[in-house]
Amino acid sequence: MTRRIVINPITRMSGFMELDVTVENGVVTEAKTKGTMFRGFEQMMVGRSPFDAIYLTQRICGICSTAHSVGASLALEDALGVVPTEQGRYLRDVIHASEFLQNHIRHFYQYGVPDYVRVLKLNTICDSDHKDFRLPSSVNDTIAAHYFDSLPISRLAHELLATFGGKAPHNHGVFVGGYSTPATVDQLVRAKSILKQISQFTDEKLIPDAYLLAKYYPDYFSIGRGYGNLMSYGIFYDYSELGTLYVQPGVFQHGAYLPFDPDKITEYHDQSWYIGNSPNRPLESMPEPDMGKPNAYSWVKAPRYDGLPFEVGPLARLWLSGNYRNGISTMDRTLARALEVKKVIEVIEVLLDQIIPGTAVQKRWDVPDRAMGSGLTDTTRGALGHWLKIEEKKLSFYQIITPSGWDFSASTSINKGTAEQALLGTHIVDPDHPVELGRILRSFDPCMSCATHVHRPGHPSKTFQVFG
Amino acid sequence: MTEQTILPPEPVTNEAIAKRLFEDAKQKLAEGNVSKPKLVWLELNGCSGNIISLLNGQNPGFEYMITSMANLVYSNSLMIPEGNQALDRLFELLRSNEPFILAVEGAVSLKNNGMYQLVGSYDGKPLTGLQAAKMLGAKATHVIAVGACAVDGGPSAAKPNLSQSVGLQQVLERKIIKLPGCPCHPDWFLGTLSHLIAYGEPALDRRDRPLLFYSTLIHDRCPRLDYFHKGIFSKTLGEPYCLFKLGCRGPVTRVDCPTRRWNDHINWPIGASTCIGCSQFGFPDQMAPFISYETTEG
Amino acid sequence: MSNQQLVRQQMNTLFSEIQYLIRLLYVTQDPYMKNLTLNQLWNKVDQLQFLTQLEGSACPHTSAISPEVKTMPTALPMSAMPAQPQLPASASVPSQGMPQTQTTPSSQNPQQSFTREQLAQFDGRNGRPAYVAVKGIVYDVTNNAAWSAASHFGLSAGKDLTQEFASCHAGEQWILSTLTPVGRLID
Repeated sequence: MTRRIVINPITRMSGFMELDVTVENGVVTEAKTKGTMFRGFEQMMVGRSPFDAIYLTQRICGICSTAHSVGASLALEDALGVVPTEQGRYLRDVIHASEFLQNHIRHFYQYGVPDYVRVLKLNTICDSDHKDFRLPSSVNDTIAAHYFDSLPISRLAHELLATFGGKAPHNHGVFVGGYSTPATVDQLVRAKSILKQISQFTDEKLIPDAYLLAKYYPDYFSIGRGYGNLMSYGIFYDYSELGTLYVQPGVFQHGAYLPFDPDKITEYHDQSWYIGNSPNRPLESMPEPDMGKPNAYSWVKAPRYDGLPFEVGPLARLWLSGNYRNGISTMDRTLARALEVKKVIEVIEVLLDQIIPGTAVQKRWDVPDRAMGSGLTDTTRGALGHWLKIEEKKLSFYQIITPSGWDFSASTSINKGTAEQALLGTHIVDPDHPVELGRILRSFDPCMSCATHVHRPGHPSKTFQVFG
Repeated sequence: MTEQTILPPEPVTNEAIAKRLFEDAKQKLAEGNVSKPKLVWLELNGCSGNIISLLNGQNPGFEYMITSMANLVYSNSLMIPEGNQALDRLFELLRSNEPFILAVEGAVSLKNNGMYQLVGSYDGKPLTGLQAAKMLGAKATHVIAVGACAVDGGPSAAKPNLSQSVGLQQVLERKIIKLPGCPCHPDWFLGTLSHLIAYGEPALDRRDRPLLFYSTLIHDRCPRLDYFHKGIFSKTLGEPYCLFKLGCRGPVTRVDCPTRRWNDHINWPIGASTCIGCSQFGFPDQMAPFISYETTEG
Repeated sequence: MSNQQLVRQQMNTLFSEIQYLIRLLYVTQDPYMKNLTLNQLWNKVDQLQFLTQLEGSACPHTSAISPEVKTMPTALPMSAMPAQPQLPASASVPSQGMPQTQTTPSSQNPQQSFTREQLAQFDGRNGRPAYVAVKGIVYDVTNNAAWSAASHFGLSAGKDLTQEFASCHAGEQWILSTLTPVGRLID
């Protein structure tokens, strides 16, 4: 018996996504993840002052805004020929790392946990429909209580960010050269104190809760694998005095560990609403939108590395750095996200000790008439790249490939997107309440505001059908 | 005869007034004088930063809001049901004719009849942000536009605005309380909500912003104002002097950032770089360039 | 007609307009109309003041008081101006008869005329001062708080912004009197 299930909106994620699956005899045989929102940030950057990109690209996404400020500042440093000092890197990386803490804690409890745990019914938003709650009631209630206990902690993570970044979301602390305003001693000690509280919560509640979910939902270690190709652009690595604190750039491709080569990144758009050269390298020409394109179904394009779809995110990072090699699945991703919080806390602790208060790194930066640059960094959800060109001292070209672009890419004629592949073959117990689908999707931590920022100037669009 | 306690004079800063409002609303709710209204948080074409900012609220915070202030009926980011079941909540609410407060973040995209941003699909038919905004906006008792995008298009509508995004007022013909900010500070939203619950609509300026939060220019309350007057300007970011010569938009932005600050008073934009005018209409295009080194001499 | 006669003629026109506005104020009951009329009056007085200065420094031999020319700017109420703007080097016809005391750094030289091309040079970029023109008068906004990075709500310095001012600041003519005039805009 064939049944088509369309879920729109997928809630408890950042942005808007539609999921369209076909279930035959209880097994998923076809899956499409569709980005259903669109603003056009790349085209928006053209004509602006290059420094504005560091602020404006943050507005692509509210939960991971720091990621874009870091990507943009790295791309600008590349274009301007600025090499940040180690001090510049340390404080910028502390600001960046704080975003990881906020995102992962909120994703685990507010976005992810309600799939597995009956959260106390307070409002209509808390009604739950399905029956697959397996935790014994005491365990359930403990984790449900932590849903609320985590709120002050994730707030603290943003306070940590704002200590050096001015405000969160959408910080003012990251800039060319690393950071804008030097840290003071009181700020550093405040940061350490906040970090301690977050660390305590992580050890006492977050990580045990993650393992509890793993214990009672062990089948999810075999659900939602996907292609099994992992990639990282590297983060918190190659410090001249500290070495690598987390992970170097690298890929895990068809079971082999290989070095990362940025030239192998291409973007396809066979089934995305664009026309032009496909595949396309990030700094080449820009395809044009076409919403009347047959067989296209998403605003998300299809980034590929070496022609293959890759998975990015906490699991990829922990795997490539050798910290976690249990497996690749829904539950592995969820566990990895929780474990990464602990790893990032350790990184921040090291960096905070290295920061020399009062170190000024800012200059009056000169923008050349023509330049080109790229900034690649891993961030909360995975690998993020900003590519830009400057002409007549203004931005003339901007391209962004976000982690969710990788994980939620549309299909091409050759292969499916990463999350789509992960959904295939899943056994759906109750097609009226297909909880497996949401759980798999959310394990990737979707951010569709990021994935669908893309646009190109083009012809006026014709009416189109989202379905059919 | 009991002696009347003489209370110290009450502070009249905006923060103090807002705090008294919260306490008052809290008390009224506890006494049962005011019932918890239903609240719909509708995300449209934006970055969802405003609900993340809301989660950063402290006293009151998000947990206080949903337990003691309002009954949150819909939120794309936080609600547990998904798909049709999620949208059921919206349609049930509309059918029930019960009163509710509508908070909207994100801009309304007009291109292609609103198909550039879908709130969802209900019974096989797409529900665009445009449709949802109109449907809910027509029936809500109060509508609050939260954040720059909902107020006047904001970053979603930045040139060349390919999605033809506009602020909420362009598609709704009714009073909308506007809370610009990128994102909106949690206090501005929760304070406005408190006021609505306890006293109805707050006093608004001619741009429909609550005077409680949007009255004085940042420049006039900036701790660095003296440097401006004395002509002592920072030459690079990170220097402690006036940031006017680097492009600071404090002088044209009317909101209480210098005193309320951000993230539980920990810091604020000028403490890190400059003000980019995110809480003023016209952000971002009319506030660009944000940082400029090639400008007038100091 | 010489410049002096032109200025005199303008001043006379202004005097008549001001008298008309004052008479209007006597009979106006509506507070809204009153405020509008007051705004117009302020504007006219402002223009008159400017022309007076223009005339006074253009023709020192006609002012019977002293050969010394008075300095200008402090007569006008200003928003906080921390540093004095650079004086443009170009001289124009009316200033030819000026004594040397005119050129102290703290004094302004109101006889500068600017063509649109000259005005465009004062765009506030790369250390140049920022000037804007409204209703034929060129103002220095280099250190005006609302003109950080020589831009204001998307408008750039070095231009004639009469239209934009009229549409955004209708009924707020007093804003002009907070600016520092530095010359006239000639087409």
